[in-house]
Amino acid sequence: MLVAEAEPALIDRYGRHVALDAAPTALLWLDTTAAVTLGDGSVHWIGDDADPEAVPVHAGAILAACRHPDGAAIVTGGDDGRVCRVSPAGEVAELGAFSRKWVEHLAASPASGLLVAGVGKEAICWTKGTSAPSHRYAVGSTIGGLALDAKGKRLAIAHYNGATLLYGTNPNSGRVALAWTGSHLACTLQPEGRFLLTALQETGLHGWRLADLRDIRMGGYSAKTRSFSWDRKGKWLATSGDAAAILWPFEGKDGPMGKPPLLRAERKGAVVTQLAFHSKDDVLAVGYADGVVALARLADEHTLLLDTEGASITVLAWNDAGTRLGWGGEDGRIGLLAMDARA
Amino acid sequence: MAFSPTIPVTVLTGYLGAGKTTLLNRILSENHGRRYAVIVNEFGEIGIDNDLIVDADEEVFEMNNGCICCTVRGDLIRIIEGLMKRRGAFDAIVIETTGLADPAPVAQTFFVDDDVRARASLDAIVTVVDARHILLRLEDSHEAEEQIAFADVILLNKTDLVDAGGLAQVRRRIRSINAQATLHETQNCVFPLEAVLERGAFDLDRILEIEPNFLSEDDHEHDDAITSVSLRSEAPIRPELFMPWLRTLTAAQGQDILRLKGVLAFPGEEQRYVVQGVHMLLDGNHQREWKPEEPRTSRLVFIGRNLDPAALQAGFDDCAARAA
Repeated sequence: MLVAEAEPALIDRYGRHVALDAAPTALLWLDTTAAVTLGDGSVHWIGDDADPEAVPVHAGAILAACRHPDGAAIVTGGDDGRVCRVSPAGEVAELGAFSRKWVEHLAASPASGLLVAGVGKEAICWTKGTSAPSHRYAVGSTIGGLALDAKGKRLAIAHYNGATLLYGTNPNSGRVALAWTGSHLACTLQPEGRFLLTALQETGLHGWRLADLRDIRMGGYSAKTRSFSWDRKGKWLATSGDAAAILWPFEGKDGPMGKPPLLRAERKGAVVTQLAFHSKDDVLAVGYADGVVALARLADEHTLLLDTEGASITVLAWNDAGTRLGWGGEDGRIGLLAMDARA
Repeated sequence: MAFSPTIPVTVLTGYLGAGKTTLLNRILSENHGRRYAVIVNEFGEIGIDNDLIVDADEEVFEMNNGCICCTVRGDLIRIIEGLMKRRGAFDAIVIETTGLADPAPVAQTFFVDDDVRARASLDAIVTVVDARHILLRLEDSHEAEEQIAFADVILLNKTDLVDAGGLAQVRRRIRSINAQATLHETQNCVFPLEAVLERGAFDLDRILEIEPNFLSEDDHEHDDAITSVSLRSEAPIRPELFMPWLRTLTAAQGQDILRLKGVLAFPGEEQRYVVQGVHMLLDGNHQREWKPEEPRTSRLVFIGRNLDPAALQAGFDDCAARAA
């Protein structure tokens, strides 16, 4: 079913908009407090019904952010080459500085405590509890994306002409080289570590079944895929890059091989840019290039309009409990929705 | 969705020692009221501290899109996306390439990547040429020749180091490769920066000023020399014939066609249609209305190797609408 824009947007009844001064580059939740990182180098902490509190962190833009493995702060990477830990109280601690480089990718795992930053051609690692880099892995070309499995041990690094797989907690890890011509951008590991998927410059995904390194090709996208989201059981991978959210089935040992994807929340004339599965229910939040945000149910194609047209949605995330949803458009319009208010 | 204009991008090429760094230092240090983000290949050479200077990796890769000569600069795609997160911090982008770089992957990056196209547009390729050494360079280097071929603006630098006869010879050689670029002569990259930066639309209007078939056969120096062919038609061009012809031509000869540019008058259309291409990649758009006094002449320029002016003119003529 198409997303109906005639209905009133849910944000008007159960949420609010917050206007920030620059383009959001990440939105992360710590319980019910949102952290929004911006292109002007600042982090804005926004609690329920509270005014945003700005923390200047980087000179230049914040290019990447993730939650700190300890769950009590976020980690930011900037085009000033610094990696910083930023707490909701506004404390900023520098974890690393890489002169004249950009920190474009970050991944962290609460399970293993590992933090990884993609800096040029190197993946820099901080093992559990460390506040300075503990080891690093060099690859042949600039890193396009990083991913960790659910245990936080398997580390995938996407780059030109393929990807490299290793054990990120082991400085002397062996490596699996996965070759496929082209430029590989974002990547994601199936939570159990059975499949690795990368987004290609030419649009579409490339996948590897890691048990036997078999190649999987997943095409048909009109734009580059930049957002991945796994459902809570690791059964579905939702992907951006087309007029509908494209969901690939990962049940069984063959994954999506030979199976069609499920299409949800289709809209005419706007590409899906961001998506996020709910942590407890079979619903998917979807953001589009024209600023619309919708909620799609997997079971029956029903959708709910969450936000109306604006600038392209660049960030979208649920909190862990699934009680808050946050999103942001390129123009700095942030939407925050309280789902527990719907009782 | 809110309309946001694209950021103009100037690409700076030129053989080693031609004077690119001098020019970059001028762009970064002069008080011209514009803020430039500069993507350089060797950060150390720039004597200015500026957080809008970014190191490039010159990472060229082939696109998996069935177009054999389609290579792009992956690092540029990444850097431009990163810079766009700081929109408002700068007005334009300048990209420096290494002396040995083939300009095609840089130019093609602006045709191929949809996200880059949506945010940035190639304003001009500026090639700095060392007047004293260029003739020797052209003997032993394809890159030097291609850098001239790709140029929208050529800065013929160090003209004080050659005599009048030598300079005339260099001018003639440059014109034999690229008849339509704007040519400025300087001694130490001293000339107004506005002649180089933010020129707009690839200086497309200049191709209207060039006489067709500017070259005579004597100008061909060797068989694989790069030459320009300029075509014109007073009769309007029929898009339903022109588009397939151009696509077929670039598909067959795209490896030899380094650049093409055109301004076209379609029958009954009030807007000028502009087309440009790099190898097999084409891009076309309605540009602006024809001015009342402007003759509606269609022009098309090819720069490349093994170009047959007669065959190209015949093909172009076949696309023209005949009087009934």
